[in-house]
Amino acid sequence: MTQPTGTSRKTRAANRLFGRNSRQGNWWAALLIIVMTTILLIATTDDFATPRNASNLLAQAMPLIIVAIGQMIVIVLAGMDLSVGSVMSLTTAILALDGAPIVLIPLVFLAAAAIGLVNGIAIVRLNVHPIIATLSMQFIVLGIAQLLRPVAGGSVPDVVVNVVTGAFLGIPAPVFWAVAVVAIGWKIVHGSRFGLHLFAIGGGVASGQSDTAHNFGLKDRRNIVLAYILSALFAALAGFFIAGRIASGDPGVGSQFALDSITAVAIGGTQLSGGVGGLHGTILGAILMALLANGMNLANLSAFLQGAIKGVILLLVVALQSRKKMGL
Amino acid sequence: MTGVTKRFGPTIAVNDVSFEIWPGRVHALMGENGAGKSTLMKMLAGVHRPDAGQIAIAGRGVTFANPREALAAGVSTVFQELSLLPNLSIAENLFLGREPVGRMGIPDRTEMARRTTAVLAELGMDLDPNTLVANLSIADRQFVEIAHGIKADAQVLILDEPTAALNAADVQVLNSQIEKLRAAGKAIIYISHRMDEIFAICDDVTVMKDGNHVATQPLSELTPDSLIALMVGRELSDLFPDRAADVGPVRLSCKNLTLGSAATPLSFDLHAGEILGLAGLEGQGQSEIVRSLIGRHTPFGGEVAVGGQTLHLPISPERGVRFMQRLGVGFVPEDRKEEGLLLGASIAENIGIGLQAARPGFALLARVRDTAKRIMRDLDVKAQSPAMPVGALSGGNQQKVLLGRYLAADMDVLIIEEPTRGVDIGAKAEIYRLLRALAGQGKAILVLSRETVELIGLCDRLLIVHDRKLVSELAGRDATEHAILNAALTS
Amino acid sequence: MGNLLRSMSRIPPAYFVFAALLATLWITKPQLMNMNVLGIFIRQVAPLGILVLGQMLVMRVRSIDLSGAGVLLLVNYLIASGLLRDVPLPLVLLLSLGIGCLVGLFNGYLVARRRVSAVIATLAVTVIITGFVQFLASGKPPGNMPDVMNDIYKMKWGPVPLPVVLWVALTGLMAVFLSRFVYGRFVMAVGENPTASHFSGVPVERTVLIAHVLAGFFAGVAAIVQSASVAVGSLRLGLEMPIDAVAATILGGVVFGRGDGGVWGPFFGVMCFAFLFVVMTSFGVPEPGKQITRGAIILLAAVFYGLSTRNS
Repeated sequence: MTQPTGTSRKTRAANRLFGRNSRQGNWWAALLIIVMTTILLIATTDDFATPRNASNLLAQAMPLIIVAIGQMIVIVLAGMDLSVGSVMSLTTAILALDGAPIVLIPLVFLAAAAIGLVNGIAIVRLNVHPIIATLSMQFIVLGIAQLLRPVAGGSVPDVVVNVVTGAFLGIPAPVFWAVAVVAIGWKIVHGSRFGLHLFAIGGGVASGQSDTAHNFGLKDRRNIVLAYILSALFAALAGFFIAGRIASGDPGVGSQFALDSITAVAIGGTQLSGGVGGLHGTILGAILMALLANGMNLANLSAFLQGAIKGVILLLVVALQSRKKMGL
Repeated sequence: MTGVTKRFGPTIAVNDVSFEIWPGRVHALMGENGAGKSTLMKMLAGVHRPDAGQIAIAGRGVTFANPREALAAGVSTVFQELSLLPNLSIAENLFLGREPVGRMGIPDRTEMARRTTAVLAELGMDLDPNTLVANLSIADRQFVEIAHGIKADAQVLILDEPTAALNAADVQVLNSQIEKLRAAGKAIIYISHRMDEIFAICDDVTVMKDGNHVATQPLSELTPDSLIALMVGRELSDLFPDRAADVGPVRLSCKNLTLGSAATPLSFDLHAGEILGLAGLEGQGQSEIVRSLIGRHTPFGGEVAVGGQTLHLPISPERGVRFMQRLGVGFVPEDRKEEGLLLGASIAENIGIGLQAARPGFALLARVRDTAKRIMRDLDVKAQSPAMPVGALSGGNQQKVLLGRYLAADMDVLIIEEPTRGVDIGAKAEIYRLLRALAGQGKAILVLSRETVELIGLCDRLLIVHDRKLVSELAGRDATEHAILNAALTS
Repeated sequence: MGNLLRSMSRIPPAYFVFAALLATLWITKPQLMNMNVLGIFIRQVAPLGILVLGQMLVMRVRSIDLSGAGVLLLVNYLIASGLLRDVPLPLVLLLSLGIGCLVGLFNGYLVARRRVSAVIATLAVTVIITGFVQFLASGKPPGNMPDVMNDIYKMKWGPVPLPVVLWVALTGLMAVFLSRFVYGRFVMAVGENPTASHFSGVPVERTVLIAHVLAGFFAGVAAIVQSASVAVGSLRLGLEMPIDAVAATILGGVVFGRGDGGVWGPFFGVMCFAFLFVVMTSFGVPEPGKQITRGAIILLAAVFYGLSTRNS
């Protein structure tokens, strides 16, 4: 039992610093780094503060923003979804099949929903640890994607490309995407009873009272399954966006996104132990990741080294979050 | 409630209890620790299901699958233990599962905040409804729990020790609130260990003992003394062995242990050959005292001298248990299944793990089979072989195996939480004899228990703990339940 | 009947799968059933088998180690790149083992002391090492392996290939270590119940930390054997090996905290992999099919144990 009255001033200060006693977590650290990085990049490079780079940046950040929102939904529940990257790959593979867009596009989201459903059922009904369930699903889905499209290639329907790379009223499509995704994400996470219940269920797990949410009469199992379905759907949406950008199918396109999305969520202040987090933190985290990638590109850093640096960032962020449980 | 019974395994927690409560009256429920009050209330609140008997509300029989159904039937409960989610705000906790929604299905936070403020104001509280529960003080949390119960607008309201965390001024506020609810015709069940409150606000009282119903009477017919007499008065059976004739030198000395920032420091000595008990009402700090000694609770300060060393508290939570074992102090935790035994491992492995833990990891295993067999024989553990998994044993035999672990490791000092929890009466007597025999061999034993009778029968000396301080000390042979309750309740 | 089912569920699935695979192979490809061919199949999975020894250990203390991929890649690169051309080979191999142990120590610190999620920590370690090695190699495949390693790899002891001898010997050592030494008892206790272990005086953090160091060591050994098995170094070693190690371990009846399958259960889990891919190739299943199988094995085995622990 935590006793706020009994905690020392030092712990309370530390709590505040790491956003432990706020439900949004510590999102302003991400904001601070974004501001600092932006200033640094504007000051040191000539190409950064151009409209072209800004629009580029948004398009680069968009898939990660989308997939990170889905990832956040399950992380708030004290879960995790390692299969999102494979779902993205599968999405591009399906979109690059021969077929009418009217068939392919619904198929993409149906497949994603089915994958999320299997994840959720394995977790709540078959008692499998979320990480193990989604880890194995990562391989199964990747295999299916590789069966459909062994190597990168093919072409996606024009409508997909236009929706992603076109412009409307002179405003580039990614701007509309950003508005829509943020609106949908906000509605789910902060603008619905479902969203509030996510925090309740995750908070119960994190504070060792996993029965509490159930005792309040919440449908915890159904909400968990729904969360994994949403996570997969967001991944499919991110895959759709990438498919539009590269205009082809690629089974390797999602490989980095499982860890990148977890990094973005964690860096945005969402606690991996559940119950604490927020949409704005997650979006800031994803933007920060894209900004760093952009900056490293402008600094001509090797792509391989960039991968290593992202790994270091992930380790730092998760090592700073405190957790009671040891293991998986 | 008619003939309500609840069993947990072989133990009967509540046995054939019947009583009635009336609208517009406050009904006190009293009894010692473990009398079955909480279990009874949990059945009424839908947490547990009765094994037999019937609960009827306004003449209609009801069964509750979960607390939500009980609430829907008009029974609202404020439990002692945490039932609020720390990461949600006060308003969100109060409305969880029944949030009002506004346009487009968005939870109406302004409405929630408005109604929360109103409910809190009724309790005389001026808290921001958007504060996270994690950021509230314990007393404020308690008030929010109460607000949660009141807001449900139930016909029956159960308050389980609502004042445990409150100071006198807060208690006044709560009492006036209860008066209001009574005037509004609600039926209220009130559990408390504070005599003055009981007599100040309650109309009737039901007394329980050992899971049985003792009496239901109007309080006007009772005095505090006669009420305590109803709660106690159990025969001291011949379960208990004789006490020690004399005690040896000090084995463990605890000085100025301070449990909270404002708590009074407490000190005590534990001698070789004696059994010392920590008595008092449940949850008054007994468990924090003993857990401070092995690093599982972080006190504000103090020191403990044992095995020729003086340690400053707090000690490391990670290494405390091991360190104390090296100094000859064994800690037997209360929760046998979660903290004590390795249920899937064999009896021999469970008895031997303490011995193995004293060896370096890259040493050969100590041979423990013979030791395990000897201990099983000495303690009369009923099992086919030492290779049987502990999970398959009865509660009493499991407890013996757990104690056997510390016998095998030959500890000088034993700190035992609840030595006979969930153990049948025969095994209890055996465990008492065993502990006395150990004391006779010169071991020093510190015991805490919810069962006051057990402490009186078993211990040479009793320290009465109340509100995280030592309020009194009694010799075991002079102690009575009455004296202990009196010392605790009137401190 | 219920008892029979229950005791059946305690037998690792690996034994049934192994028998089924052997039978399938016997019926469909009887010409493969001779010592030489089988020896080669089994030799191929020796690195996996050695990696599994560590995976099994960390999974028994409720952790997991996916950093084997990173260790494998790094050691592979160190030996093949000629970066350490002037250093005598035994020293290079010793260095490889040291790298494994260091990575394990780092994992152990993160998991046991900092309580970082083991999957995230060890995946991140793999990502970091992979990025770093590829940066050093500028994405180009490194050079050749020293011939002497490949020669040793191809040697036999009687009819049994040397790598298999090493694998079996290490597995035997591990079995003795876990059943006869105090540490093995600690591993059992922590897997069974970390809280109760703590109250019994078992050094829980240290047990988990050492498990990770040992897992890192075995990853180092596996990396050396793997490097010896190929003529040319590669940068395309992916996550498959550690994932297969997880799958083989679960198949062998060892799953987070439960060690029913002992040391030999996972051993047969690896044997399954030796024949699984042979059988699949002989049925013409393409590479992605193997990917799917990998995931399906983990999921099904985890469901198997998830259901059996829920019912008990």
